[in-house]
Amino acid sequence: MTEDRLAPPYGVMLDRSKAVRFSFEGREYRGFAGDTIASALSANGVWLLSRSFKYHRPRGILSMNGDDGNCLVQIGPEPNVPADRQPISEGLRVTGQHYKGSLRRDRRRWIERFSRFLPVGFYYHAFFKPRGAWDFWEKRIRATAGLGRIGQAAPATEFDKAYAFADVAVVGGGGAGVAAAIEAAQAGSRVVLIERQQLLGGSLNHARFDPASRRGIDTAKALATEMDALGEHITVMSDAVCTGLFADNLLAVTSGNKLTKLRAGSVVLATGLIEQPAVFANNDLPGVMLGSAVQKLLWLYAVRPGRRAVVVASNSDGYGVALDLDDAGIAVEAVVDLRYTIAGDSLIREALDRGMRIIHGYAIERALPNSAGTHVAGIELRLRPGQESGPESRNLECDLICVSVGWAPAAGLVAQAGGEVAYDDTRCAFRIVSSPDGIVPAGAVRGEWDLDAAIADGRRAGRHAAAGGRHDSAIDEPTVTPESNPWPIFDSDKGKAFIDFDEDLTPHDIENSIAEGFDDIELVKRYSTVGMGPSQGRYSATNAVRLTQILNREPLGGAAGWTNRPPTEPEKFGLLAGRRFEPQRLTPMHHHHEAAGAPMMLAGDWLRPLYYGNDGESAVWREVTAVRENVGIIDVSTLGGIDIRGPDAAEFMNRMYTSEYSRQSVGRGRYALMCDVSGTVIDDGVACRFADDHFYVTTTTGGSTAVFRSMLWWNAQWRLDIDMSNVTGAYASVNIAGPKSRDLLAPLCPDIDLSPDGFPYMAVRRGRVADIPARILRVGFVGELGYEIHVPASRGAALWERLTAAGHPFDMCPFGVEAQRILRLEKGHIIVGQDTDGLTHPDEVCMTWSISERKPFFVGGRAIEMHRRRGVARILVGFTLPAATKILPEEYHLVVRGDEIIGRVTSIARSSTLGHPIGLAYVAPDQAEPGIEFTIKGPGGRLIRATVSELPFYDPQNLRQAT
Amino acid sequence: MAAMTDPTRFSRRSFVHARLARQGAVFRDIGDAAVADSFPGRNGLATRLALIDLSPLPRLGRKGRGALDALRAADIPVPPVNNMALYNSDGAIIARLADAEALILPDIELAGDTLDRFESSPERAGCYPVPRGDSHFWFVLCGTNAVACLQKLCGVDLGPRDFADLQIAQTSVARLSAIVIREDRADVPAFHLLADSASALYFWDVLCDAMDEFFGAPAGHAALRELSTRPPAENAG
Repeated sequence: MTEDRLAPPYGVMLDRSKAVRFSFEGREYRGFAGDTIASALSANGVWLLSRSFKYHRPRGILSMNGDDGNCLVQIGPEPNVPADRQPISEGLRVTGQHYKGSLRRDRRRWIERFSRFLPVGFYYHAFFKPRGAWDFWEKRIRATAGLGRIGQAAPATEFDKAYAFADVAVVGGGGAGVAAAIEAAQAGSRVVLIERQQLLGGSLNHARFDPASRRGIDTAKALATEMDALGEHITVMSDAVCTGLFADNLLAVTSGNKLTKLRAGSVVLATGLIEQPAVFANNDLPGVMLGSAVQKLLWLYAVRPGRRAVVVASNSDGYGVALDLDDAGIAVEAVVDLRYTIAGDSLIREALDRGMRIIHGYAIERALPNSAGTHVAGIELRLRPGQESGPESRNLECDLICVSVGWAPAAGLVAQAGGEVAYDDTRCAFRIVSSPDGIVPAGAVRGEWDLDAAIADGRRAGRHAAAGGRHDSAIDEPTVTPESNPWPIFDSDKGKAFIDFDEDLTPHDIENSIAEGFDDIELVKRYSTVGMGPSQGRYSATNAVRLTQILNREPLGGAAGWTNRPPTEPEKFGLLAGRRFEPQRLTPMHHHHEAAGAPMMLAGDWLRPLYYGNDGESAVWREVTAVRENVGIIDVSTLGGIDIRGPDAAEFMNRMYTSEYSRQSVGRGRYALMCDVSGTVIDDGVACRFADDHFYVTTTTGGSTAVFRSMLWWNAQWRLDIDMSNVTGAYASVNIAGPKSRDLLAPLCPDIDLSPDGFPYMAVRRGRVADIPARILRVGFVGELGYEIHVPASRGAALWERLTAAGHPFDMCPFGVEAQRILRLEKGHIIVGQDTDGLTHPDEVCMTWSISERKPFFVGGRAIEMHRRRGVARILVGFTLPAATKILPEEYHLVVRGDEIIGRVTSIARSSTLGHPIGLAYVAPDQAEPGIEFTIKGPGGRLIRATVSELPFYDPQNLRQAT
Repeated sequence: MAAMTDPTRFSRRSFVHARLARQGAVFRDIGDAAVADSFPGRNGLATRLALIDLSPLPRLGRKGRGALDALRAADIPVPPVNNMALYNSDGAIIARLADAEALILPDIELAGDTLDRFESSPERAGCYPVPRGDSHFWFVLCGTNAVACLQKLCGVDLGPRDFADLQIAQTSVARLSAIVIREDRADVPAFHLLADSASALYFWDVLCDAMDEFFGAPAGHAALRELSTRPPAENAG
């Protein structure tokens, strides 16, 4: 093995028995199972992992948390994979991203030289003059923008989602979170514990709490023993991130390619702290890391983070880092303590006892780069004003700068849930001020930083959450709070100091935003884009708020950050799309249509045959001819069906539909037109009266749910004595249409008199068809003698088979939606939704005949009266085109008169029966008389003259359908 | 072993019979239809995770303000609250869906007479038939992994603590409005799933996909029979 690793007990994440080969930037490396890309590369001495967003600066490990933007890499087609979170696997091919040339020698590095021309918000001011300049610049800017490349040829990947449930959800599996889970489970709660790392324990696994470095390990072991005893009462979701906390304690938890929607009775948020960077020149150089990142490299991955280190400290945690480095055999050049006074805790005493050099009174001037500019080679310090002893400037040689200057609570989920988070200037950090009922912050995120205090707080929170988590809005004061530097921002003209690594933002950018007038923190964020990158402000918000408040001359205490919104960490679109649930409805005869080679179309949720065979237009014409001259069969199971039963059924129908139904005879059908309260036509069908107290009303395909919902809504107010059942799926239906339909059906219906007198047009019957119980409607949508047969859905396929067999001697032809559209158009029947729109009222589509004048009320009646008083502005008419017309207008092409838009074409087809094109269109009332010509703006803007025609085009005396 | 039969011999068929046949089902006659009885080579699935189609079996729905009274008048027990079910003495499940709606599922071997008896009882005002045998498919998902499998499809907690035996949820499952009735069999979780018959094939495929993770698969009526123990008679109303 070429990599340099520390011996155990370092490297708790590693399985050293399993070597893993992978490549980075085309070169092969080896790591161990359990390594992340970043840990394995760093063990191999590779510290340059990516290039920065704007200036293409070299970047490497910052946090080892997997949630910053400094080490995003590309894996195959997937960009922006956090190298400090993604495990390596055998054969994994990893590349850097956002560079031109090579990662090491990025040819776009020159951009930084022009940084003074690229201040924050420059794109709001530049490139707009002279006219057309933006067109030129946009292409170039877009070519350099973005991070990584999405492989458009990427193979489809499975994404999954699931629901989960808990009495108590604990987010964060550090000491406080585990303690909370234990207490809640002991109280009888069903607990789900969510931890973003693979290993429970959080900082217990890598932080140093005592000189002997035992407390963390011992505490973790004790908690693990306690938890094991609780068995299945605690479900652990490790390597899982809670990205959102929504109303009623719905948590979005992502893990790999799976999204879990977890519903919890109450939620403990033990999300811990986020170590904050210091802002100084070149603070982004590879080799400048947060102290906690250094400890993770050591303890979790057995990686030496450097050979010679300088620790920049503002708290005792920095001394813990220094001691850890010392224990691992890494030279600690110095601890640069930024505080003016140093409290003497045990870690500091241990560092002093070991003879470590501790430097006071200095500020950071800059990190010094190596000759290639790709790694840190030293640190330059300058004497702070007011400090009298020591040289003005000091340079320390090192290849590692560890930054331990303070912490911010990982309070994003608390804020999402409606909690209040504000800056506390006595603690020099943000603090949770309140949280809603059911949301219980615990441990370090609440400010309890001492290990024992945090564990005790976790236990309290677990008990509290198990009891429901209700509390006063005020959060108790924490007993011990972490130490943070009040102003870890160091001005220097010797290099760029970054306040936000994601977007290459410096303090000057914040100043410029405020100078431009974007002075509120929310505006600063949007104008400067601070906090809008992959790390979402985790490593920039605290310093950005400090700077903004000071520049605005406003007090820091009580200052709020910007609004926290989900997701807390980047989510893949695949997770949001997840497992697809797209219900699709099939008629019971569907497999017969497929077997007959019918291409299918989507009609609402349904699949319907367009036509039968593979010869398109000629198939449609063949089907039309069969219906006109012989007999055809169409599957109309997709029509909606609603049973209305009860003593008030007729009254209900009267109110819901425009015609009068109280006088409708049993055994008769009647056209049913439905309007909404504004008088707009919304559906139509046939109302069949099977008994005094029973109507069966059909609806358009896809309309049944909305119609049924509307009926329920209205009768919730009317309280009529009826019952409604949407039986759409319960019936399979076919229409047998054509002059020979009666002859075909007669032998199949021994108990029904099919004679013209016995079963006249618009009559309805119940009986048996082909030995199957059926409801039969004599209707004429296609303008021929026809019977609509409705049978129980479970028998629909058998009905189709038996009718098809009976149809053989008649050369019966199945027909699809296309043929039906032409047939009904020849007959001048409208299709609601195609020939009507969201404003159409009945008089516009010549449905005046369907409106009863005798009823005191029906839905939309009053509005129709008002429409009539105002007069119609358009009328739907039939029109014809000359038979020789080669290119037809299309549906939705405009009807125009000069420059004025008058209406539109709603339906059009070549009629094989009539021998010329026919259609329906909205025209002005003065154009509606038969014989008048009007103009359609057809394909390519071509003006086409059409002639208004009487409706119906076919069989105007209704001799065929009523025969 | 059941005698093989062709489901298309009957005019009444399951909404997924063609898919079941393609998946290797062996059918047997039951009532006036054929049910998928077994899938050769698949044994013991029902205790782990199995999906069984009972759509060919009859079922009966009643709606209206007089629906529950009509049941009582026919000496059929009515659950005391909505969204609960109970057994009739012959093993039929009486499911109370609302104050004015009930569903009756026969025992899976059609040994009882509750459905016939109720259908032949005198009509009562305000009680209307609902064609549940045609409007809804009827599947059973059973096995120790059934709850976990349903968690991939349904936002309601169907675990035993919050969803007891014979409890009903009328909710969305894989975006379909469904009636879910829990009826554990010999301590093995089992869920009756009834929803729009036109969406049966969609739902069957979705469930088969969701079952993959738990090594579940379609099973036949025989698997459910084997699982089944008679419900205690004292549960009958």
